[in-house]
Amino acid sequence: MSQVVDAPHKNKRWRIGSLEILIIGLIALVVGQQWIVTFFTNPALQTASTIFVSIVVQAMPFLVGGVLLSGAVTAFIPASVWQRVLPKNKALAVPVSGCAGMLLPGCECASVPVAGSLVSKGVPASSALTFLLAAPAINPIVLVSTFVAFPGEPALVLARFIASLATAIIVGWIWLRFGQDSWMRMASRLHLVGDTKFETFRRTAAHDFLHAGGFLVFGAAIAAFINVIIPAEWMQSVADNPVLAIGFMALLAIVLSICSEADAFVASSFTQFSLTSKLVFMVVGPMVDIKLVAMQTGIFGRRFAMRFAPTTLVVAIAMSLIVGGVLLT
Amino acid sequence: MTREVQAVILVLVGSAIIRITIDDTFLNYVKEGMRPWLLLTGGALIAMGVLAIVDVFRGERGEKNDDQPEHEPEHEDDHAHHGPRSAWLLLLPVLAIFLIAPPALGSYAAARDLTNSSPSAAVAPPLPPGDPVEVYVSDYVNRAVWDFGKTLAGRTVAITGFVVPNPEGGWWLTRMSLACCAADAFAGKIQVVDPPEGWEEPPADTWTVVTGEWVPGGGTNSDTAIPLLAAENIVQIEQPVNPYD
Repeated sequence: MSQVVDAPHKNKRWRIGSLEILIIGLIALVVGQQWIVTFFTNPALQTASTIFVSIVVQAMPFLVGGVLLSGAVTAFIPASVWQRVLPKNKALAVPVSGCAGMLLPGCECASVPVAGSLVSKGVPASSALTFLLAAPAINPIVLVSTFVAFPGEPALVLARFIASLATAIIVGWIWLRFGQDSWMRMASRLHLVGDTKFETFRRTAAHDFLHAGGFLVFGAAIAAFINVIIPAEWMQSVADNPVLAIGFMALLAIVLSICSEADAFVASSFTQFSLTSKLVFMVVGPMVDIKLVAMQTGIFGRRFAMRFAPTTLVVAIAMSLIVGGVLLT
Repeated sequence: MTREVQAVILVLVGSAIIRITIDDTFLNYVKEGMRPWLLLTGGALIAMGVLAIVDVFRGERGEKNDDQPEHEPEHEDDHAHHGPRSAWLLLLPVLAIFLIAPPALGSYAAARDLTNSSPSAAVAPPLPPGDPVEVYVSDYVNRAVWDFGKTLAGRTVAITGFVVPNPEGGWWLTRMSLACCAADAFAGKIQVVDPPEGWEEPPADTWTVVTGEWVPGGGTNSDTAIPLLAAENIVQIEQPVNPYD
C-alpha cells in the first residue's frame, strides 16, 4: 500500500515474475513428485494431508456459493438502498443493520469491504460496523453450513445466530456511545467496479474467492496438523477443563482465521470439545481473527482496529458463554 | 500476484475439484451427497478463471489505447490487479490432490480415536433377513454396546472394515464414519476373536470382510466398549469405493 509512487513500473516487472514462478514451481513439483509422495508415506503426515484436503473440499461449495452471492449483492443492489432502509435514529439503526446482516450471504472477507463502502456512502459507522460483524456470522449460508456440520444439533445453530447478533448489536452501541470517527482512516474501494454490472459481479466474486480462499487453506492446514500433531490424550485433557477449553477454542478461532462459511466444519472436527467452546469458536472466528484484523487495519486504519478488535473479542466471548449456558446445556 | 496467475489459480482449483469428483476420490474426503455441489463449484471456478483470462487480454488492449488503469489512484489499481499473496496458498490443495492424492483415513487416524461409539437410547430394529447379513461396523457396535447385542444373538453377520492392530493383542475390524468430512471422522472398532485355523493377522490397513457371530464380553453401555466378533471366515478385499460407513 505504501509503495504507491513506482507502482506501475513495478507492476510490469512483477507481472512476468509471478507467472514464471507459477510455471517453474509447477514443473519442479511434477518432476519431484516421486520424492514428495515418498515423504508423505509417513502415516501422521498422510492423515494430516487427508484432513487438510477434506476440509478444503467440504468448504469449497460454501465458499464459492458465498462469493457468487456477495458479488451479486455488491453488483446489483446499490448501497443507497441500505441508506433508505435504515431508521434515522442511530441507536435504533444498529439492531436493524444487524438483522440486515442476514442479507449479505458472504463471509467476513466480503463484509469488510462492503462495510467500508457503506461508511463511505454515508451510513453511520455504528450501523456499518454492526453489519460488518453480523453479516459473516448470521447469514443463511453460514447457518446452513453450521447445520450441516453439526447434524443433530439444531440448538447450536440457534445459539450461534443469537450470540453473534447480540455481539454485533452490543459492539455497535458501544461504538455509538464511545467511538470516534476520527479513529477511522478510510481509503476508497472502487477497484472492482467494471463496465457492466455483470463484470462487477464477476470481479467481486473472483476477488473475494482469492482473498478468502487463501486464508481458508491456511486455516485448514493448521487445523489438520493440530488434529494430528497434538496427542489425543492432551487434547482430551484441555477439552475436559471447561475454562481451558473455551480459552483454547477462542485462541484457535483468532489464529486459524477460517472463513465463516467453513468454520463450522473445522469446529465440529474437534470432537472432544464441549458445544459451548465450539460456540465460542464460531462466534469469535467471524468477528475477530488474524486476517480480519489485518483487513480492518487495511480498510479502517490501525487506530481503529486496535480498539475495535479487543472490544469485539470480549463481547463475543461473553455472549457465547451466556447464550451457550442457556441453550446448550 | 498478477491477474494471469489469479485466473490460472481459479482454473486449477476448479479442475482439481472436478477431477476428484469424477473419479470418486472425493469419497475419501467428504460424503457422497456433495457430488453435485462439487461439480457446480468446480464448473463455476473454471468459468470465473476463463472469464478472468479473457479480461486480461481485453485489459491489455485497453492499456494500449491508453484507456483503463490510469484514471484511478495507483494503490487501488494495485489492489485490483494484484490479488493477495495469500491466494498462492490455494495451490496447496491442488498440489495435494494432483501429486499426493491423500488416501482415505486409515489405522493411524482410527487409533487416535479413543472412543468407539456415542450413547444411543434407541432400541435397535431387528436385522434384515439373510444369512450372513451385511452389517456396518458402526451399526454392529451400537447394537452390541447400547442394545446389549439382543438383535445380534444367533445371527451370522458379514462386516467390511480394515485392520487396526490392538496394542493389547489381536486386532480391531475398523471402519471410519463421517459426520460431515474427514476432519470430523470417528472410528468404529470390533475386536475379532477366534479367527479360523491357520489365519494370520494381516498388516494394518488391510481391508477385509469378516463373517462371524456376535459373542458377549466386549462390554456394554460405555462409549469406549469394543464389542467382540467370533470370526468364521475372513476374506481380504480391495478398499471399497466409499471407504466410510
